[in-house]
Amino acid sequence: MTPVDPGRSPARLVVGVDIGNSTTEACLAVVAPEGSITHLATDLTRTTGVKGTPDNTEGALKAIRGALARAGRSAGQVETVLLNEATPVISGLAMETITETIITESTMIGHNPTTPGGEGLGVGTTRSIGELGEQQPGEPVVCVVPHGWDFDDVAATLNAAVAAGVDVVAAILAGDDAVLVTNRLERPIPVVDEVSAVEKVPLGMLAAVEVAAPGRTIRTLSNSYGLATVFELDPVQTRQVSPVARALTGNRSAVVVRTPTGDVTDRRIPVGELVLHGAGKTLRVDVDAGAEAIMEVVGRAQPLDDARGEPGTHVGGMLAQVRDTMADVMDIAGQPDVPVSEIAIRDVLAVDTFVPAEVRGGLAGEVALENAVALAAMVRTSRSRMQLVADLVSEGLGAAAEIGGVEGEMAVGGALTTPGVDRPIAVLDLGGGSTDAALLTREGECTAVHVAGAGELVTKLIDSELALGDRDVAEGVKWFPLGKVESFFHLRHEDGTVEFVDQPLSPHVFARVVVLTPDGPAPVPTRHGLDHVRRVRREAKRRVFVVNALRALRQVAPGGNLRALEFVVLLGGSALDFEIPDMIADALAPHGIVCGTGNVLGTEGPRNAVASGLVRAHAALLAEEARCRSR
Amino acid sequence: MTTTEPRPSIRTELLESRPVNLDGFVEEWPEKGLVAMESDFDPAPSIRVEDGRVVELDGRARADFDFMDTFIANHAIDVASAEASMAIPSAQIARMLIDPGVSRGEVLAVTRGLTPAKVLDVVKLMNVVEIMQGMQKMRARRTPANQGHSTSARDNPIQVAADAAEGALRGFAELETTLGVLRYAPLVAIALQVGAQVGRSGVLTQCALEEATELELGMRGITAYAETISIYGTESVFVDGDDTPWSKAFLASAYASRGIKMRFTSGTGSEVQMGNAEGKSMLYLEIRCILMAKGAGVQGLQNGSISCIGVPGAVPGGIRAVAAENLVASMVDLECASGNDQSFSHSSMRRTARLMPQLLPGTDFVCSGYSAVPNADNMFAGSNFDTEDYDDWNTIQRDLQVDGGLRHVREPEILQARNTAARALQALFAHLDLPAISDEEVEAATYADSSNDYPLRDVLADLKGAQSVMERGITGLDLVRGLETTGFHDVAQSLLNVLRQRVSGDLLQTSAVLTPDFTPLSAINDVNDYAGPGTGYRLAGERWEELKKLRHVTSATNPETEVG
Amino acid sequence: MTAATTASDRTVTLREVGPAGRGTRPDEVVVAVSPAFAGHFTKTIVDVPHVEVLRQVLAGIEEQGVTARIIRVFDTADLAAIAHGGAKLSGSGIAVGMLSRGTTMIHQKDLPRLSNLELFPQSPLLDAPVFRMIGSNAAQYAKGESPQPVPTRNDQMARPRWQAKAALLHLKEFECIQAGRPAVEVEPVFGRVGSRPLA
Repeated sequence: MTPVDPGRSPARLVVGVDIGNSTTEACLAVVAPEGSITHLATDLTRTTGVKGTPDNTEGALKAIRGALARAGRSAGQVETVLLNEATPVISGLAMETITETIITESTMIGHNPTTPGGEGLGVGTTRSIGELGEQQPGEPVVCVVPHGWDFDDVAATLNAAVAAGVDVVAAILAGDDAVLVTNRLERPIPVVDEVSAVEKVPLGMLAAVEVAAPGRTIRTLSNSYGLATVFELDPVQTRQVSPVARALTGNRSAVVVRTPTGDVTDRRIPVGELVLHGAGKTLRVDVDAGAEAIMEVVGRAQPLDDARGEPGTHVGGMLAQVRDTMADVMDIAGQPDVPVSEIAIRDVLAVDTFVPAEVRGGLAGEVALENAVALAAMVRTSRSRMQLVADLVSEGLGAAAEIGGVEGEMAVGGALTTPGVDRPIAVLDLGGGSTDAALLTREGECTAVHVAGAGELVTKLIDSELALGDRDVAEGVKWFPLGKVESFFHLRHEDGTVEFVDQPLSPHVFARVVVLTPDGPAPVPTRHGLDHVRRVRREAKRRVFVVNALRALRQVAPGGNLRALEFVVLLGGSALDFEIPDMIADALAPHGIVCGTGNVLGTEGPRNAVASGLVRAHAALLAEEARCRSR
Repeated sequence: MTTTEPRPSIRTELLESRPVNLDGFVEEWPEKGLVAMESDFDPAPSIRVEDGRVVELDGRARADFDFMDTFIANHAIDVASAEASMAIPSAQIARMLIDPGVSRGEVLAVTRGLTPAKVLDVVKLMNVVEIMQGMQKMRARRTPANQGHSTSARDNPIQVAADAAEGALRGFAELETTLGVLRYAPLVAIALQVGAQVGRSGVLTQCALEEATELELGMRGITAYAETISIYGTESVFVDGDDTPWSKAFLASAYASRGIKMRFTSGTGSEVQMGNAEGKSMLYLEIRCILMAKGAGVQGLQNGSISCIGVPGAVPGGIRAVAAENLVASMVDLECASGNDQSFSHSSMRRTARLMPQLLPGTDFVCSGYSAVPNADNMFAGSNFDTEDYDDWNTIQRDLQVDGGLRHVREPEILQARNTAARALQALFAHLDLPAISDEEVEAATYADSSNDYPLRDVLADLKGAQSVMERGITGLDLVRGLETTGFHDVAQSLLNVLRQRVSGDLLQTSAVLTPDFTPLSAINDVNDYAGPGTGYRLAGERWEELKKLRHVTSATNPETEVG
Repeated sequence: MTAATTASDRTVTLREVGPAGRGTRPDEVVVAVSPAFAGHFTKTIVDVPHVEVLRQVLAGIEEQGVTARIIRVFDTADLAAIAHGGAKLSGSGIAVGMLSRGTTMIHQKDLPRLSNLELFPQSPLLDAPVFRMIGSNAAQYAKGESPQPVPTRNDQMARPRWQAKAALLHLKEFECIQAGRPAVEVEPVFGRVGSRPLA
């Protein structure tokens, strides 16, 4: 390219381009020699390829051409394209369960069938329904019914046995028949059903079956002393059964069988140690100690040089998986692969979560909420490849292209165009993979940090905690408010208000919890109620974004003191979220900080900050040069 | 030990286990229309013309006409020749159909004046071999062809493109797709078009959808023709679908107004399946459909029972009736896309036998949907033949020296076409700012068999992309432009040439297809001139050399090697 | 070929108890059956006895703590009309409509007739456990809960095997239509083969 002689061109057409993880933004402006800026147009398009790779060129050109078209300018008039020095971080996620519930010797059936039958407590010896006829009168019996028995036949058999004097006090059924059977009994008893592995219930053992009234929970079997009373336990034995009682808390129905060595344990899975190198130290922490302990140790190893997991442990596998993914992203065709060992993890965010998992040894597909830890990790990448993008953009457009500046500093510059803000200003860029903070002091000094964990982690937490198994649905839950379709003509929003509709709603959303997308309500495939889904969604956002906002701001705040910050401007895709900005603002309010979503150039909202920042920085540079020349 | 228990013989047990016994068969019930083509409840042929108007049709006076009668009487029957044609004994017309000495044109001069009952009376006289003989002469286009289905159980556009490319390369002159999730349609229709042009330039494509969207995709030039415009043989079934012969004719004219090829769809069994056969045989009602199509002015018809094949397939003589309905379409000068496009039988032997009346004489499209994807991916609910049958089909063509429209293609060429199709679609999607196609997907498409062999797509992103295609008003010309700027010049040129047919209108001619050099081949310039042995279409020369090739043929020069 | 269902010695007759009226209980589901159901016909296209179909649908409803009312329709054999008609008479607005060959639909009174909550069009694939789930889901809709739709199955080879028989059964069911005869409420009388049903 022929460099343009600045002397001949009084006003220059420049375009700032910000290539982000998901969007590429352009800001087209005319810069006068003395540095004043006239903004002409902006544009936004999807980023092509992985950020920081040559594939970005296409999206960059598209955004530039889009802005040019809006302003009615041609590519030939552009003097300089200013590209961001892409934030040199990429991020990865992993999740590992750290507890498991195990039932031995089939001592307990703690699942919650939606429709148990009868009510009350029955204590007796377990007998198969087939042997009921041989049963002597007198001894209390808990009847166990295998698969294949019809409900009418079960009821008839039980009624006949009772008529013959057998003291049937409760029943355990394989099928979903509890209400059907109890409705047909002459003498009502508590019945627990849907025990899918009913053949594993030990026979000839003392057992207790308890069913609470609808809307109530069991009282006896979830109480250690209740169990002690029922099974005549001594204090030592009572201590042993207390985990059983705890596991049954909150159930509407339960079965406990007393076997010689039966037990329920809540085992911690040794998942290994996280080894953190940083600040000249090497610190170790057990991942099963939970997020709080991990983050405490991470805090002590700042700035982090690398994090590793013990090879052969779960955490070793977790971090290796993150590293492998990142190596794939960084590999360039035609060049030697990036050695995985050279990828250093520079930040880790640990979040406590839970995963609904089937209980080992359970008889009815019992599900326990097991504890898990999710880790977001962040890696620094080499910065050389943005120059390649700049070269390609230059070639494609026929104008000079240069790397304009560090992303964090540029974002601050752009954020300053938000009406009502001033230095010192901090920005929080709430992205997909990382949360970035930058601070511009009154004196014009800029510091920037990147911390691991952002929108992707929120999606993952929602997905696993609601057991959705579908990333797209989880994204929907994250992005849109909830509602419950109560009839074909009205739905109730999550804030309790009711909205009536003129056209009947689609049958596939009838009676369901839905997310209110711009295209209309979309069902969330879950048995959970609206309140639960909402709680999970808000908690996931809080644990990632509020925690990271505080963490990142503390790292840039002078002396780590949040009170030293005055204006915090939220930028990035997640700043468009309907509740995250409010949650962060609430968390920052006690520190006397003005916090809100940015409105770059007074028109762009939280978008285009880096692109406009690039133009501002360039203009400042020109003005400086002009001053130098005039001197 | 003796036993009085009745027990089946070992042979009976063996026969019981044969796949054919998984098929369903039912007794006829003519009073309700559950009968193929021989029913005492069908009307006797009759016609009366007064003042250039049909006043009596098959024993019914105009005052008693239902709307099918009215439409056929007003639009399908040539009143000038009707009384003369009707006066010719049915046996004589049947003989004309099979007599090589009587030209196709001479037969058409008679059939244009026949009523539905008379047509039925004629074909009832013909056995299957005679029906085939008639088809050999009456087929509109001289050169037979075949049509393929390219669909995906996951509506994966890359799969559709790759399988379309392979299908086009193997010889399908038309390719059809449809969707599981209808909103995916724009992306899949684009993929079909791109893949088809990569495989063989000039292949025509269509996307079966509800009528409005199907028409819109056609008008935009994203598809090249339309076929799934269903018609029925009784007024009550028509009314159930909120339709009339006139509304269907109106839709047909909408296509014609843009130079878009289209045909109707009908078939034996649909009316009785819906419980509204009004006591008429399946073939009689189908003949009414055929004449209705003729009266609406469309150039062709897809028939051969199609999605109701299980019904004629279950009654005596049902497959003969299906062959006859194909012949009737051809003998009233309509293009006939002759079925063989739906899962028909558990028995491979029965599947093949059902094909013979179309394959042996040749039809305009032997299958109106040979599954060019594994049947599990076939979103038309499975076809009579799928990708597993390619080699069998090619071998049957070679054994009998008949042209079923397909050929054996060597592996490297297939991989090349599949890869190019996927890459062209990748570039086009990127150009149009549609959800990206990864290199892994291109690689998968090159070697895949079924939708399970592809990485999963981000369905939500795809659906948004599909919606944006509709909202942004993307047309066939945008596809041409995108393919051109991304370096797929040949594909762009092919697609542009297909679109240019809109202007010439040549694809509106009966039974038109495009050759690789974009010459329309239709009943105008490639009219069937069969006149007995040694005439008409003969599988010979270069084409026959092509069809001699199979996957494994031992070389005569060096028997230790294979040719091909 | 033999049908894949277990033999049952249970029987059912549907005894008329009066004209079908509109229900007032919000906790009821109406089960609306076609003219020939458990009358002219006794089993579905794959030989599931109607007594079993009915017992399972009713059991699915009862297990959810919801009551059921059975209505027999005479003047149509159109599934959507049967199910929608039932829904309009149902206190909860929810009905299960069933044809003799087994085709089943869950409907709601506010929906257009040609729409539905759940449709089970492939009658050859419906067995006793599916009918139980259909009853259960209908009851859950009546309670305002959000049941997971009963998984529908698909079999491409159902066409060659069952299409014609389905058409035949459809025609036979149409034969049993009594135009103009209003729907009646019926009571199921279950019994065993060889034993006299209790009156």
